[in-house]
Amino acid sequence: MQKVITVSLNGNAYQLDEDAYTRLSRYLDQSAAALANNPDKAEIVADLEQAIGEKCARFLNAHKTVVTGAELHQIIAEMGPVDGDPGPAAADPKTTAGFGASTGAGAADATGAAGAAGVAGGPPPFVSRRLYQISDGAVLSGVCNGLAAYFAVDVTLVRAIFIALFLVTGGVALLGYVVLMFVVPYASTSEEHAAARGLPFNARALVERAKQKYSQYQNGEWRGARDEWRKEWRRMRAEWRFERRRMRTEWRTHWRFGRGSAAPGAPFGAGGATAAGGVRPAPVSYITHVIIGTLLAVLGIVSAILTIGWLLVLMSLILTGAVMGWTLPHGIPFWAALVVLVVLYSCFAWPIRALRHAAYASVGSYHGAWVEAWNGIIACAVVVTVLWFGFHHETEVRELFNQFVHWWNSVIGGNLGDWT
Amino acid sequence: MPVDQKFSAIRKGLLEYLVLRIVSGTTVYVPDILKRLADTEFATQEGTLYPLLSKLRREELVDYSWQESDSGPPRKYYRLTPTGQSYLAELDAYWALINTTISSLGS
Repeated sequence: MQKVITVSLNGNAYQLDEDAYTRLSRYLDQSAAALANNPDKAEIVADLEQAIGEKCARFLNAHKTVVTGAELHQIIAEMGPVDGDPGPAAADPKTTAGFGASTGAGAADATGAAGAAGVAGGPPPFVSRRLYQISDGAVLSGVCNGLAAYFAVDVTLVRAIFIALFLVTGGVALLGYVVLMFVVPYASTSEEHAAARGLPFNARALVERAKQKYSQYQNGEWRGARDEWRKEWRRMRAEWRFERRRMRTEWRTHWRFGRGSAAPGAPFGAGGATAAGGVRPAPVSYITHVIIGTLLAVLGIVSAILTIGWLLVLMSLILTGAVMGWTLPHGIPFWAALVVLVVLYSCFAWPIRALRHAAYASVGSYHGAWVEAWNGIIACAVVVTVLWFGFHHETEVRELFNQFVHWWNSVIGGNLGDWT
Repeated sequence: MPVDQKFSAIRKGLLEYLVLRIVSGTTVYVPDILKRLADTEFATQEGTLYPLLSKLRREELVDYSWQESDSGPPRKYYRLTPTGQSYLAELDAYWALINTTISSLGS
């Protein structure tokens, strides 16, 4: 049995055995040392991590989730030593030799690794299952697909259940679907796809985990683990702060240069500011996705309600010269009240809009567009429902409507007819 | 001294020019660049290419954009900037000059 270490390579989790972990951390340390004087050190190391991650994915599948030392050795041989500072000091003969030797070494390692990979079975992988939306083969958004993967049943069955529920509940199920669409994140990496399907919860995996916990406890490792966890939590909070700042600048450039340039794909010319900053859309965690989804739905409803309220106040001001029964103080003209109303509305609406755009930016361009479209539909639906409800059940609202119609007829000269 | 070692310094120096040429066509992802070079005398590796690309980006000859990927995190796609295009034109002209010089020497 080998111990498995989970590492994050540029934001994605990979499981390595101990040998692989040692090799990888040595390689990354050497790379960082070679780039010590490079202003783009952090970005290059992130690029290298992503490249290693993609190479790791080649060795992984649903039934093999751990990268072995031999495989990692092969990957590192393919990556090659990192060229140091491209300044005057870079003219060392070591890097020039890399050209001829590299391909040969890679081939030799490949055969070695293939042999080793056959022997190293690795412990049974335990993947905690999570609900994701899966867009491959989705009809609408991938909610049913994700649910089917989660419960390990056929997707047709889930769809049939959804349609039946939709018919029985008279459309309420559709609302449930929309909520899930917002709240449940998309599975985009292979890791997430694996987590979406999970693996059968078997007794052996459970015992393995318990054993591991027990040995950690015995070795007093849990204290180290706790400190590690705290460190991780602090790091995550720092990342959150950074992410918020990044999203703010990102949506600012995004909105300045027009909506065609979707957030993460910074355009070459216009988005130069983002590209020059060297920020990349850091992959957000599952829980962050859930929070953002919920936030988007809530913000959509809040801003819809705000708009309705504002429209009602505006109408009452235009029609009665008073704001909801509260007459304007003497000396304040009608137009000043209008200006104040508009300014007040923007004061409330602007931060909400900013939050929503920031949230879209972090969800990503393609899914962001979907979320945005649905958000618009929901907002419209809420506005129409509230107005309809008010018109039918509140006499004040109906009177306001009629007054508006009269006012329209007298001022514009049109004929809207009587609404009651 | 084997021929390929004789020219190793020249090959290394030329790599930047070749990368600019590859990037000048469509937008490319780093593994694509490596694949294009893999079967040539200029085969190289991530360890060399990433620092080189970051240097070219600092010199504003290339730029990248993020593109979503179906199978993993977003990817960087590189392409030539307008500055890089004019610089590449100069390099092309100079390289042609070198070639003429070489072929004009000797019999």
